[in-house]
Amino acid sequence: MSEENQILTVSEITKEIRRTLEEGFERISVIGEISNFKAHYSGHWYFNLKDENAVINCTMWKGLNNFVFFTPQDGIKVIVNGRITVYPPRGNYQIDVRSMKPAGIGELQAAFEKLKQKLSDEGLFDDQYKKEIPAIPQRIGIVTAIDGAAIKDLISVAERRFPLIELIISPSKVQGAGAAESIVESIRRLNALKDIDVIILSRGGGSIEDLWAFNEEIVARAVFKSRIPIISGVGHETDFTIADFAADLRAPTPSVAMELATPDKQDFFAFIGDFLYNASENISELIDSKKEIINHTLGSYGFRFLLDRLRNNYQKLDALILKNSQSIDRKSLILHNQISLLTKTVESYSIDKSLKKGFVLIKQNDKFISRQINFDENIPATIKFFDGEIKVKKN
Amino acid sequence: MAKKKSELSFEDKLSRLEEVAELLEQEDLGIQESISLFEEGVKLSKECIITLQKAELRITELKRQISDFKEDS
Repeated sequence: MSEENQILTVSEITKEIRRTLEEGFERISVIGEISNFKAHYSGHWYFNLKDENAVINCTMWKGLNNFVFFTPQDGIKVIVNGRITVYPPRGNYQIDVRSMKPAGIGELQAAFEKLKQKLSDEGLFDDQYKKEIPAIPQRIGIVTAIDGAAIKDLISVAERRFPLIELIISPSKVQGAGAAESIVESIRRLNALKDIDVIILSRGGGSIEDLWAFNEEIVARAVFKSRIPIISGVGHETDFTIADFAADLRAPTPSVAMELATPDKQDFFAFIGDFLYNASENISELIDSKKEIINHTLGSYGFRFLLDRLRNNYQKLDALILKNSQSIDRKSLILHNQISLLTKTVESYSIDKSLKKGFVLIKQNDKFISRQINFDENIPATIKFFDGEIKVKKN
Repeated sequence: MAKKKSELSFEDKLSRLEEVAELLEQEDLGIQESISLFEEGVKLSKECIITLQKAELRITELKRQISDFKEDS
């Protein structure tokens, strides 16, 4: 045991310990409960793992903790993989954690319940903070994965129900490490825009690990803080996330979230149809009722009396017209006679003038013969001169 | 009513139509007024239906829009 007498410096012994530990525990898996968790602003994580009897320090560097899908909380039991390192300046050893996962689904459930209780105590889920969802939106913001299952459902429901809107998609990572931060950023970007009426925060179905981003504290706080009302539609009906509680309205699925955000155009068609039917009915009724009033009025004594008087006057008028027309007829007859008398006189006057000049008229059988063709040589003729007539017999 | 019809949004038209429907159900309304309200309602109905039937969903992806903007400037 010569080593018993060998004297080593602190550095020397530490170096020995370091070599022994680091070579002896290069790949280890450790289960334990997290305590004293600190996420440093540099991005590194510092925490302890403990059980009933022991505690061990842990570090997890920024580049690696990016791959942890959940944010660790004190009290959560996890399994870490890594190696032992020694930090000579302090003479302590720690686990350099390479990966971390919850020790079981129950652990996530516990984390969920714990955060839910904490935020609930803070009032983040209170009804008084729930913002109203507008009845007829014009622009709907969407936070989801651009290539996910939810986006297809959201678009097809919007197309079917109310295509008058614009969908503003703020693409986000919705699963795995960094998803929570990405969701927060997407919500923030939509809030920076004007005229977004409502935001749908959505993701298709998946395991509790897949949906975990929606159970992160920063997401819940971003949802709560959003100026624009948020409808959550994450996973299936049975999936409840912390984001659901913080949202202004929770929908069981992405499709239902869009249904809650949009009115159905069929309802408008029905409303307009009803309007046209009812309004036509109202107008017809109104017109009919006015017609009835008119008919009723026409049948009233006042109107009948007036009509009777009118009719009496018609009768009088007819009698007068008859009388007048008779006297007119008589007068016109007299005039007519006078005119024909005058006409004859005028005619005869013009013949006399011709006769005076020496023209004669020839008559046969008391008719004037004005053409040679009408002259009959076999009967006697009368020649009328101005001063008298002579009869000519055939030789 | 002071606004021109063409300036009214779908929402405005719809709420005016609701108003017209209510007014038409009032019994003491004059026939001239009723008929002009009815005509207005029919016109609004037609416009609303056409708007809905012609509507096409607009989709904007935020990220691309922003990067386009950056490339432009």
